[in-house]
Amino acid sequence: MANGYKMKGLMLVSVLMATAALSACGSNGNNEANTAATNGTNAAATTEASTEPTKEAAAESPAADASKDEPLVVYLNDFDDIVKPMFEEKTGYKLEIVSGNGAEIASRIEAEKGNPHWDVVWMDSMPTIDQMGKNGQLLDSWAPSNLGGLTDFAKGLVPANNTYFPTGEHAASVIVYNTKAFDANSAPKTWDDLLDAKFKGAIGMADPAVAAPAYPFVAWFFQSEGMDQGKSYFDALLKNGVHVYPKNPNVAKALTDGEIKAAALQESNAYTLKNAGEPVDIIWPAEGAPASVRVAAIQKESKHQEAAKAFVEFLLDPATQQALIDKGDESYFEPSVKGVNAKADRAADAKLVVAEAGWAGEHEGEIKQWFADKAVK
Amino acid sequence: MLRIGTQGNRTGWLVLAVLFLLILLPLVAVVIQVLLPGVFFGHFELGNLSLLLDVFRRPLWYVSLKNSVILGIGTTVLATIVGTAIAMARSNWAFRGAKLLDFAVWILIITPSFILAQGWVMFASADGLAAQWLGWHGLHSFIFQPVGLIVVMTLSKFPLAYLTVYSALEWKVDRLSEAARLSGGSSWTVWRTIQAPLLLPAICSGAMLVFMDTVGDFGLPASIATIFRFPTLPYSIYSALYTSPIRFDMAGALSFYLVLLIALAMSVQLYAMRKSRYDFLSSRATRSEPKKPRKNGIYLVFGNIVFLAVVIGIPFGSNLLMSISGSSSGKGRELTFEHYKALFAGNNDMLLKGLTHSLEIAAVAAVIGLLVGFLVAYVLTYSEFKLRKTIDVISLVSLAVPGIVLGIGYIFIWNQAWLEKIGLLLYGTPWILILASVAGVIPVITRVVVGAMAKVPRQLLSAAQMQGASFSHRVTTILMPLIKGALLYAGLAAFGASVFDLAISSILYPPNFMTLPVVINKAFEDLQFGYAAAATLTGGGLVILIIAVMELLIKPSRKRVKS
Repeated sequence: MANGYKMKGLMLVSVLMATAALSACGSNGNNEANTAATNGTNAAATTEASTEPTKEAAAESPAADASKDEPLVVYLNDFDDIVKPMFEEKTGYKLEIVSGNGAEIASRIEAEKGNPHWDVVWMDSMPTIDQMGKNGQLLDSWAPSNLGGLTDFAKGLVPANNTYFPTGEHAASVIVYNTKAFDANSAPKTWDDLLDAKFKGAIGMADPAVAAPAYPFVAWFFQSEGMDQGKSYFDALLKNGVHVYPKNPNVAKALTDGEIKAAALQESNAYTLKNAGEPVDIIWPAEGAPASVRVAAIQKESKHQEAAKAFVEFLLDPATQQALIDKGDESYFEPSVKGVNAKADRAADAKLVVAEAGWAGEHEGEIKQWFADKAVK
Repeated sequence: MLRIGTQGNRTGWLVLAVLFLLILLPLVAVVIQVLLPGVFFGHFELGNLSLLLDVFRRPLWYVSLKNSVILGIGTTVLATIVGTAIAMARSNWAFRGAKLLDFAVWILIITPSFILAQGWVMFASADGLAAQWLGWHGLHSFIFQPVGLIVVMTLSKFPLAYLTVYSALEWKVDRLSEAARLSGGSSWTVWRTIQAPLLLPAICSGAMLVFMDTVGDFGLPASIATIFRFPTLPYSIYSALYTSPIRFDMAGALSFYLVLLIALAMSVQLYAMRKSRYDFLSSRATRSEPKKPRKNGIYLVFGNIVFLAVVIGIPFGSNLLMSISGSSSGKGRELTFEHYKALFAGNNDMLLKGLTHSLEIAAVAAVIGLLVGFLVAYVLTYSEFKLRKTIDVISLVSLAVPGIVLGIGYIFIWNQAWLEKIGLLLYGTPWILILASVAGVIPVITRVVVGAMAKVPRQLLSAAQMQGASFSHRVTTILMPLIKGALLYAGLAAFGASVFDLAISSILYPPNFMTLPVVINKAFEDLQFGYAAAATLTGGGLVILIIAVMELLIKPSRKRVKS
């Protein structure tokens, strides 16, 4: 009886192990099957297109051959709907995506540090990715072919060791107001206007300690004015009764619900509201809207470097950026390469300013902690 | 006797190993970050232990700890009182709509707290439904303060106390109460001196469940943060893990305090129940049958309906209204089904895929969870295993530890390069979601099954063993048939709860394997509130449908076994 029982226990353990082991293999198969299934529609096109790069890659580096069948894994926070078919059709490489908000992706990358699963990260979190480059997590000293095609603004953002490349910039915050409360004259027009007593309790913004896109917004104040000036600006803003919401969507909702009358709101959120027919209008402050920069970087130990490089080249292709603007979900941004037209309804006088990535990355913890502790007092 | 003991020990060690792997190891992996920050990335350096004291220095952390304690204690007291009172009423009296109460309790247990909290926020916010439709402008200032939050939390968590007490009331030894009444005690005295003390273990474990689920809850502080800043420990843990720069060591330090709170609560429970014996059930025990109240039964019916309207009606009603309100406030508050149409419109199969993935994960997790939970309950109920108490504690821990902490821990543990050689690199495959979901559902399954096993006397199993029945034979022919109903409930509840686990799936989902909660969350981030609500309700409706069908399918056979 005791024996029988022992057998039972052993069996259970081995079954658990076996299922686990099987599943590890099985699920890979599944993934591939999934990929194949989802690609079904463009399968024909893909096969045709894929023959050429395969040869090319094989000629360039025989080692890359082994990993050719494995898909390229990209971690990103936007454009997950359209980028996969576009890239696969264009290059013949298979692509798998993990999408989440910027913080989720950053957290995942950090937790995977011992054994990274990603090949390319593509997010609008330049300070974080800059830090990753400094920590030696990113491929450096490689230059994509269209580097010369970058706009002057974008050129200034590429780090000296080429660890990442900007693919577009958008405003981390513009001023948005409810047209039922203000008109173009009475609405706040500059960042300093938000301190005006007549807007007391009427302004909202996202919490830089929680919302990823809110950090580039506040970082610019802290860098351009100095830490102390930055603190006193936001102190004054808080004293003026600014409503701090966890994330940009909450700000947007509060604005349309009438809880606040104007807000510092992320650009694409702002245009989404306006296009949905909400009673809002957008002001680009003359001194500039602090920008959030979307950059792409390749993981240093990536086993799929050819495909990863192809992905970065693909992102710097004017045709790709034009497609992102025409069809993407976060389509309001300033393209990083020449020869691309931004959205027609995006303000022509949109002026972007940006906190230096290295500085913003180094001070990120300190500034966010200041906001977090400030908020509970 | 010796043999029974060693057998119990074997199952005990097995169960302990499984729980250690699924729950304790990932938790330890995160807490250890305080001590050895780089341990999973191949470098050993000593961490900064003063981080542990920062909880008293940093305003946010201090407030988080304080809020967690206030919310935890307040909710535990209130929800235990409410749950116990309702359980007693339900078990003493038969009234119309009593079945609805049972149903509501299960709905509340499997619904993730962020959905409930979201509903309350929509209802009670300044321009919420209560103010708009009912003109209750005062509700806003009542709900969005600590006491109000305790009330909301109580209305979401009381089912845990209710279920534990209610199942303990299923059997009673009337002789004790009758003797007391014969000796002249009033019904209140009898309740106070006999019935309530005998219920103490059930009340305590109910309170324990409520406390753990409350201090570990992330949905409520996150949902109300839009209106009222009430950071709790899980909330600050989220901030540490989900804002750059990512600080695993800070999350570890805060998790340490969460674990400390749990340990304190457990000690209080142990102290309260010290030196007492509670195995009062004897062969004289009778199944309690609710009686029709002699008078004023209508008040029970009425009270039940009002109560359900509050605990179910408000959170779900608000979500429902949100899902059928026009997407643009510019168009006014017209009603529309556009969000539901959008769910399955055209080539947008994201929701469908996410739903399929989530249902698959939840189904497998429920089956494995049931197996593990059954063994845990078996060891807790029938064995003399010396680490039983440890198993008891670990099986509850995942209720209190936020999913995100377990999620990060799972990456640390299951993403080590050497695992690839033995085919166990589970991170990056759907199996990691299943394992994490199993860890999440173990507390619920174990509690339900333990409750059911408590009613099956050990002698039944011993007698069979004496006749030479093997372990599997005893379990399949005696134990399982007797507790089939509970197993079914436990499995279905586990299934329902896993479908919506956002925290775990957002950090662990493999490439191209979106799950339902990830899709819903994404919709929210893209400002599609109506779509998010519609997707939540559609998913929830489908889950309830599946549960109902399963119950119908399995119920007839259960009845046959009983008769």
